[in-house]
Amino acid sequence: MCAHAAGSRVKTVAPAEALKRVDPALGLTVAALWLMLGLFVVYPLLMMLSVAFVDDGRPTIAPLLAIVGKPSHRAAFLNSLLLGGLVGVFGTALGFLFAFTVARGNLPPRWVRLIDAATLLPLISPPFTTSISFIFSFGPRGLITHDLLGLKGTNVYGLTSTLAAEVLTYFPIAYLTLRPVLSGISGNLEEMAFSLGSRRLHVFRTVTLPLAIPGLANAFLLLFAASLADFATPLILAGNVFPVLPTEAYLQITGLFDLKGGAILSVLLLVPAAIVYVLQRGWVARGHFVTVTGKAGPQSPIRSVTPMARAGLSLGCAAVGLFILYLYALLGLASLVSAFGADHAWTLRHYQVIFTEGRKAIIDTLIIALIGMPLGGFYGVLVGYLVARGPALGRQAMEVVCMINYALPGTIVGIAYLIAFNDPPIALTGTALIIIACYVFRYSPAGIRTTIALMQQIDKSLEEASRSLGARSATTFRRVTLPLVMPAFLAGVGVVFIRSMTAISATIFLVSIGWTLITVRILENMTELSLGPAAAFSVFVITVVMAVMALLNAVLRRLPTATGEQMQWGLGGG
Amino acid sequence: MGTCTPYSPRHGKRPNAVRLLKHPRRIAALVLMALLSGWATTTAAADTINAYSIWPENWARPMLQEFEAVTGIKVNFLRFSSGEALARVIAEKNNPKVDVLFGGPVETFAAGIKEGVFEPYKPPEAASLPARFKNADGYWTAIADDPLVFMTNQKFLAENKLAAPSSWDDLLNPAFKNMLQMADARTSGTAVTRIFSVLEVNGRDEDKAFVYLKKLRANVQLYTKSGGGGTLPVGLGQAAGGIFFIVDALDTKAKGYDVVISFPKEGIGTSAEAIALIKGAKNAETGKKLIDWATSPAMQSLFAKHKINFVPAHPDVKTEASLAEVLKGAKIFAIDDAYAGANRKRVVDRWVAEVLP
Repeated sequence: MCAHAAGSRVKTVAPAEALKRVDPALGLTVAALWLMLGLFVVYPLLMMLSVAFVDDGRPTIAPLLAIVGKPSHRAAFLNSLLLGGLVGVFGTALGFLFAFTVARGNLPPRWVRLIDAATLLPLISPPFTTSISFIFSFGPRGLITHDLLGLKGTNVYGLTSTLAAEVLTYFPIAYLTLRPVLSGISGNLEEMAFSLGSRRLHVFRTVTLPLAIPGLANAFLLLFAASLADFATPLILAGNVFPVLPTEAYLQITGLFDLKGGAILSVLLLVPAAIVYVLQRGWVARGHFVTVTGKAGPQSPIRSVTPMARAGLSLGCAAVGLFILYLYALLGLASLVSAFGADHAWTLRHYQVIFTEGRKAIIDTLIIALIGMPLGGFYGVLVGYLVARGPALGRQAMEVVCMINYALPGTIVGIAYLIAFNDPPIALTGTALIIIACYVFRYSPAGIRTTIALMQQIDKSLEEASRSLGARSATTFRRVTLPLVMPAFLAGVGVVFIRSMTAISATIFLVSIGWTLITVRILENMTELSLGPAAAFSVFVITVVMAVMALLNAVLRRLPTATGEQMQWGLGGG
Repeated sequence: MGTCTPYSPRHGKRPNAVRLLKHPRRIAALVLMALLSGWATTTAAADTINAYSIWPENWARPMLQEFEAVTGIKVNFLRFSSGEALARVIAEKNNPKVDVLFGGPVETFAAGIKEGVFEPYKPPEAASLPARFKNADGYWTAIADDPLVFMTNQKFLAENKLAAPSSWDDLLNPAFKNMLQMADARTSGTAVTRIFSVLEVNGRDEDKAFVYLKKLRANVQLYTKSGGGGTLPVGLGQAAGGIFFIVDALDTKAKGYDVVISFPKEGIGTSAEAIALIKGAKNAETGKKLIDWATSPAMQSLFAKHKINFVPAHPDVKTEASLAEVLKGAKIFAIDDAYAGANRKRVVDRWVAEVLP
């Protein structure tokens, strides 16, 4: 099984012929990918759509009209757009602030590690843990609104807190996307502008920012999609005055047993996701952003921010970081006291509970996450590469198809998988594979988008040089492209592992008697008033993910690569 | 295959992650591992039962452990709220993954009958149960009874110089404005029981009941997904009060939160908690043993031991003294199964359309 598939045979092929030849390995890879995409993305979706639009074997749009006709559903549609757009804008801004501060602020490495740790926290914990801390902190008896500020009659449910919680939960995705992009913009370019007499703000506006646009667009898209698909946060914080589509679809399915209505609501969700996606493609495609060239020069010292600006940037990051730490300190406290808010006697009982009653969930989750991690990372880079550089035929289609499971609300993906894979020919429900497949195909778009964004900055001439020397596309990919997109691979691996440990919306339908997940146990614990074990589980998840990330990072840091300096970027020192 | 770890240290200089990627066969091996580990999961053995529990783990686990101790039959179970459990059972109709649906309000089971997911089975003890605790065709049998209560935060009552609400109209007091939490009728059996309680106290005059429900809306801060979802906010004082099942309310109190339980003088509804056999169950015979046990005094006499505040459904089991004390003098009526079943969907739809927004 471990034999080297592709050797390093030296070939003597004329360059022109090598470039023209259609590589069989490439064709095979594309075909295999399409097969997987067909099975795990298209097929479940078609099953889902047939539930939405087929009645007694005949196509119909009557149920669609009935759903759109309801004012509450129309409101949910507009609310989702508003929330997604705001989360996209604020999350990208916050992510850019952090990424820019790290990439251009000349901060001491210790500070960078601290920033990495703070931004990792929201990523590596189940979304509703932030929401629960919000509930404790704000509202009529909130620790901040009532106990600290003495406000009366405040309300915690609605747009503001949902937005704040989602931005804090998802902005690290923007940070992870933007940091390699900003680091990849050579300081030399800015230096050239300075030497031509430009001011710092002008350089930022005319050099740095335009070069970061592919990254910004990707970040916005990822955040918009994440917000559109998130149901856990609105479920807890949106309240009844601010319904959004994912919660409406979820309630439609789980509460009213209306699979059809839920499917239709999620089809509505696809529309804005598709529009933003098309916009983003047009925007990014307008310019070339080649900054990594084959010609390496000495790096100029970075001097794109003034000491004053640097202090301001650092202060902004610190304020956000401190607030995040506060939210999680609250969670830690809840895991260590008998009953938060009533009985504050210290106890380790909740940890005892999770390691006895919750042991199965812990073991299952770890197995699933560890298998999904390399698969997801590899899949992300491969697809990203093929979309950016593969055969022209069908690559746009591939890019679109890859985004589907990510843009769909997890509830729908979960139900679609349940419908598609419950019966022969492909009966997968009850296995770990269905959960792993769900994670890989749902959470790899982060890696895919990052790969594409990076590929847009890597000059094609590097690969062409390799191919003209006779290397086959597999060899070129492995020895030239992969080292260059290692940051994207790490992003992919990291996100898939994190989500495997923390996601719930899709997989709540895929857990089974044989395989269950920590996150499902956490939500259960929360609904049955066992806040202590829920908090203890969350602390455990955070600790494990931190440890795995630190380990992964330590291993990778020691390995020399073509982009050694970028190797450590995404995962933090944790 | 075992040596194909992603970060095996035996290769040379390039990062191991990269090395993994260049071997499609290693990926294939990993996929195969995933497949195998999936297939290696528990296939049905003769002495196990698989179940979905609608009862929270706090209640289901001790009960099912007692069952294992008595019979030696292992119960694998997974907990879902009633809507999710039913959606799952329906989705798995052609290839059932579980044998028994354990716990949960009767209206969930009534909806399941319509979907054809249950297999009729009349346990021996069903004969001794009153009519409202069993389905005439044997599709479900009750294992407990669970009345609704008003639960309010003591500190809030004291600060606002209020007595615990003792009438449905007390909940309309402007002092409660934006401070009540109760369940959402789309997901929660608790909410459906609550709405039918309001219908009953209004003599089943739907328009009158909805006038009340709409007035109550002004005081509601949040409709929660699960029936017990509001108990913690009420315990913490983030909300002032709400309408919950007694089992959740008494558990909140037992955890140490300072809450008051009261009943409306007009009366309030109660819902039977049921158990049912899944159609096409792979372990039907052992599943029946669990149903026999759960519907008999054998299980229901254990509620008190585990501090579970359900009212036993079986007439031979006495309600635990402190629970009986709470219930003393309360006017509690059963929700008419046939009436609720016939009108449930329409009433919930009307609630979603007129009250919720």
